[in-house]
Amino acid sequence: MSSATVLCQSTNCPHGNPPSRLECPTCNKLGIRGSFFCGQDCFKGNCEYKTHKIIHDLARPPATALNPAQDGTYNPFVNFNYTGTLRPVYPLSPIREVPAHIARPDYALDGVPVAEMKRAGQPPRILNAEEIEKMKFACKLGREVLDIAAAMLRPGVTTDEIDAVVHQATIERNAYPSPLNYRNFPKSLCTSINETICHGIPDSRKLQEGDIINLDISLYHDGFHSDLNATYPVGEIDEDSKKLIQTTRRCLDEAINICKPGALFRDIGKVIEPIARTNGCAVVRTYTGHGINDLFHTAPNIPHYAKNKAVGTMKPGMCFTIEPMINLGSNWDLLHWQDNWTATTVDGKRSAQFEETLLITETGVEILTAGKSTDV
Amino acid sequence: MDLDDDIPTLIEHDDQALPIPDHPATAHRVPCTIISGFLGAGKSTLLRRILTERHGYRIAVIMNEFGDTSSIEAKAINISSADDPTAEKSQELLELANGCLCCSIKDAGVAAIEKLMQRKGAFDHILLETTGLADPGPIASMFWLNEEYAAGLAREIVLDGVVCVVDAVFGEQQMEEDHSVDGIGESLRQIACSDVILLNKVDLVSEEKLCSVEEQIQKVNPSAPIHRTIRGQIDIAHIMNIDAYAGGTRGLRSAQPHLDDGNCHDHTGNAISAKHYELRGISSLQVTVPIVTRHRLGKLDEWIRTVLWENRIPDNVPERGPSELKILRCKGLFVMESGEQYVLQGVNSMYDLSLLEGDVAGIPDSGKLVLIGKGLDESVRQSLERLLN
Repeated sequence: MSSATVLCQSTNCPHGNPPSRLECPTCNKLGIRGSFFCGQDCFKGNCEYKTHKIIHDLARPPATALNPAQDGTYNPFVNFNYTGTLRPVYPLSPIREVPAHIARPDYALDGVPVAEMKRAGQPPRILNAEEIEKMKFACKLGREVLDIAAAMLRPGVTTDEIDAVVHQATIERNAYPSPLNYRNFPKSLCTSINETICHGIPDSRKLQEGDIINLDISLYHDGFHSDLNATYPVGEIDEDSKKLIQTTRRCLDEAINICKPGALFRDIGKVIEPIARTNGCAVVRTYTGHGINDLFHTAPNIPHYAKNKAVGTMKPGMCFTIEPMINLGSNWDLLHWQDNWTATTVDGKRSAQFEETLLITETGVEILTAGKSTDV
Repeated sequence: MDLDDDIPTLIEHDDQALPIPDHPATAHRVPCTIISGFLGAGKSTLLRRILTERHGYRIAVIMNEFGDTSSIEAKAINISSADDPTAEKSQELLELANGCLCCSIKDAGVAAIEKLMQRKGAFDHILLETTGLADPGPIASMFWLNEEYAAGLAREIVLDGVVCVVDAVFGEQQMEEDHSVDGIGESLRQIACSDVILLNKVDLVSEEKLCSVEEQIQKVNPSAPIHRTIRGQIDIAHIMNIDAYAGGTRGLRSAQPHLDDGNCHDHTGNAISAKHYELRGISSLQVTVPIVTRHRLGKLDEWIRTVLWENRIPDNVPERGPSELKILRCKGLFVMESGEQYVLQGVNSMYDLSLLEGDVAGIPDSGKLVLIGKGLDESVRQSLERLLN
């Protein structure tokens, strides 16, 4: 951009907005271009500066750990090249305690899921009748906790407040919140807002009117994990977001419809991707559905995209999740924040997800985490 | 705290435009070749040669045990580049991202290589050395799987193929005597999984001995070409861009064996319709597949997945012996009535059957299926024949 011809930007310049080379120093520092005024008087005059300085806030580097905002919050990764407008709002609240009497998965102490790593590469487990009952109960509890969390959603609530409620509701049910310290994840659920694809960490950001948020609940009860999630609107949301949420739910529902003994895991993505594409959306590839039982994440791996080489046939007694992550637009790739968890779209467009834990029965499939509104 | 409340003094604008942020380079396909080989067969000599030769490519050579995800942590990587052929100096450490791999299929080792490429610019090729004891199958399948979600952001690593370096002097003995894992000798696993075989140190043995070891290799893996080398000297075109997985049909187009060196013709029976051979638990089965209908192709796909995923033949024939069925590598080319051709590629239980696209050079009058693994006995051949005829 050449600079010499920029006119005085004052809305009521007494000199008729002549061209100027005098620039607002704050804008210059922040990299905002074109803030030219014909003179100091014009810049100062008629409250011009008061209205002008609003744009500084829009471009100003956010508060940092060393220089937090007035409420003590800050952005921990100020220099990160964020793809959208969402920012982490730290500090995170202290790690929440789980009462000693609640049984924990092996990673609870050091974050390392040893059993998962040991069983890697083995074929999916077939659960017996007793194990299936335990699985069903864990899934029922998971649904209760998700519904409690979803009932809190409104503008002004922070995701950390949701985490506190989810944590409490989980331990009240004598269950361990599976995400807590899983590979060192710091919280008891994942909250993924707007351009976040998955694994958002609950923090001090207040929900805003028009946000979409995914709540991902997993809990461990009597030796078995359940895992489910859903995407919700916060207040009124735009048409694109509505369509995204509806498309994503449909992707999951139609995928569940093909599940039965003998169906192939590789065919799930062949159902999901065409629905997403027809609706102008892209299917995330890096994260997949997974087997779930006494292990949080285990075989099989279930890609949600069409062209895949997934191994395996569904058999009665297998439990697994389907959890398509669908992005608006055509970009399926993701970028992780420096927290090494939060996965966002690369173009800042919104992403939605729905997940259920499923059981293959002798005749078909049962949605163990089904809610009242889920009609498949 | 808010300095904005004081109205600042305007400043003179200087003409410098703000820098435009760098955008990732356009997508670039980086083939990865896995180099396996018997202990002492000359793998390191081969890799050192590639690293120091003036070939004009920027090649990343990852020389270490890449057996599982954890072992690659903070491992050195050598980069040979066109402008700096003495590249053993340019060692880089692979950085592993922590966390974030829960229900992510992305392997940490592959992610680390991609990260390095983002930092150092993409390579033209990656050569990955495995230990003398490693089974290249799981590593190959990991890279192959990664192709599904590696595109985008200029970091597309594709599995090119597996090369095995065999010692001409001790190779035969190693195949007959080495340790067996799960009933299959480790050196035989390497031969089974290979797409190209380098028979090294050929200057140290007689022609007769060479023919004998080549014959043995070819019985285990009937579809891999064998190149004779001395001190790892080989035109890198033979080991790079061999395209063994991306719909490549090399080794499938004719029913002839693929010795590039015409000295020993007489050892394999030609006109192979079906044959199998077994050495210390490992066997191969090569079957000619007649022109198939779409329905038959569907049946064949079902047969393949039962064998690869369930380790059994679909029609559980009672006369089948107790030996376990396990496929390490499979390849196939199937010709349809419509003239369309389908390519089968598989390593361990993972496989892909896809339409051959692009320039198809002539339509063969029959297809072919090659299976390499354990327990490939007569009952498997019969099961296939029932399906195909």
